[in-house]
Amino acid sequence: MFDNLPHEPLGAVDDDRLRLIFTCCHPALALQTRVALTLRMVGGLTVPEIARAFLVQESTMGQRITRAKAKIKAARIPYRVPSAEDLPGRVSSVLAVLYLIFNEGYLATGSGTDPVRSDLTAEAIRLTRLVRALMPDDGEVAGLLALMLLTEARRAARISASGELVTLDEQDRGTWDTALIAEGHRLVRERLASGMEPGPYQILAAINAVHTSARDIRDTDWSQVVALYDQLVTLDPSPIVALNRAIAVGELDGPEVALAAVDRLEHDLAGYHAYHATRAELLRRLGRSAESRVAYGQAIELAGNSAEAATLKRRRDQL
Amino acid sequence: MQYLLSVIHDKLDLAPSDEMAAIDVFNDRLQADGHWVFAGGLGFPNTATVIDNRDGAAVVTDGPFVESKEYLAGFWIIEAPDLDVALKLAAEGSKACNRKVEVRPFL
Repeated sequence: MFDNLPHEPLGAVDDDRLRLIFTCCHPALALQTRVALTLRMVGGLTVPEIARAFLVQESTMGQRITRAKAKIKAARIPYRVPSAEDLPGRVSSVLAVLYLIFNEGYLATGSGTDPVRSDLTAEAIRLTRLVRALMPDDGEVAGLLALMLLTEARRAARISASGELVTLDEQDRGTWDTALIAEGHRLVRERLASGMEPGPYQILAAINAVHTSARDIRDTDWSQVVALYDQLVTLDPSPIVALNRAIAVGELDGPEVALAAVDRLEHDLAGYHAYHATRAELLRRLGRSAESRVAYGQAIELAGNSAEAATLKRRRDQL
Repeated sequence: MQYLLSVIHDKLDLAPSDEMAAIDVFNDRLQADGHWVFAGGLGFPNTATVIDNRDGAAVVTDGPFVESKEYLAGFWIIEAPDLDVALKLAAEGSKACNRKVEVRPFL
C-alpha cells in the first residue's frame, strides 16, 4: 500500500548519511574494513563495541579504522553518492556491508554481548531503507530490505526466557511482528510482479516470505522452499547455501536424504558450527544418538553465540 | 591530485603490437581529456642497479632493490580529481596494456 506512494525526498541529514555510506563502503577498502568503518562513521558505534562484535582487540580495530580514514584522505576517496551510471556497480558493496551488520546483530558473536543485538539490526534496516529511497527500483535493494524485515519480525521469538536461542520450528509465532511481516511480504510481491530475474537477496527474501506465511511449522510449504534454494544454488553455489538447502530437503524428503547431502559438505564446512548442528539434528531424528551427541559437541565448541550454545547443550543432554 | 599507475607484470616479455596500439589509444585519450602527466615503459628488472650513498661511500649493487616474480613494467602519472576517476582510468589502462595496475596517490 505504502509503496504506491511517491517516495519522500531525502532530507539533508539523510543525504549526508548516504554519502558517508558510499565512502565507507568504497571497493578500494577491504570488506571487513568497510563494515567496521560504516559502523563507526555511520552507525556511531564505539571502537570497543565494534572490536567486541568482530572478536578482535580494540587496538587492532582502532588501527584498522584509523588506517582506513588515512587512506580515504590520502587517496581522496570521494565523499559523494556515485553517479547514476556507477550506482549499480557500487551498491552491491554497500548491500554486502549492511547484510553483515544485520547478521552480526541477529546472531551476535561477542562473548560479552547480548545474543541478539537489536541496535545493530535496527541500524542495518534503517540504512537499507535509506539506500532504497535512493534506488527504489533496484530489485536487490528491495530484496535485502524484505529479507531483513522478515527476519527482524521474528526477533522477539528468537530468545527464550531462559536465554536460549529458539529455532524456527519451536518459535511462538504469535509473537512475530505482523507489521514487519506485512511490509516484507509487500516488497516480495512487488519484486515478483516486476517479472525480472531475482538476485540472491530477493530469493532469500522469498524463502523467508514462505516461512512467515506459515502459521505453524507443519504448514510450511517446503517444496516451495526447496525450489527457491534450487534457484539460489545456481546464483550462489557456496557450501553454506547447499547446507541450508539440505535442511529444507530434510523436511521434504526426510533426514536420511538430507544427511547424505550434508555429509558431502564436510570438506568445506568442518569448521562451521551450523554444519555440525545440522548433522546433530538429523542424526537425532534418525535415532543415531551416539553420533548425534558427538556432532552436538562439535557444534557447541564452534558456536560463537552464547544463546545458540545453550540450546545445543540442552538438546544434546536430552538424548 | 596526481596518481601513480604502476603496471605490474610477471613475465620477462614486451607488450605485443596490438597491446602497444591499445596503449597509444589510451594515451591519446589521457592527453585529450587533460589527465596526462607522464608515462613510460621500463627496462627489465635485471637491467637495474641499486646505489646506496647514505654513508657517503656509494655502494653499487647489480639488480633490482627487491627480488620478486612480479615487477614494475611501466607507469603512468595521471591527474584526476579523486580516486573514483583514477580507478576508472586505471581500469581502462589495465585493459589496454593487458596487465595489472596499482593505483597510488602522490602526497
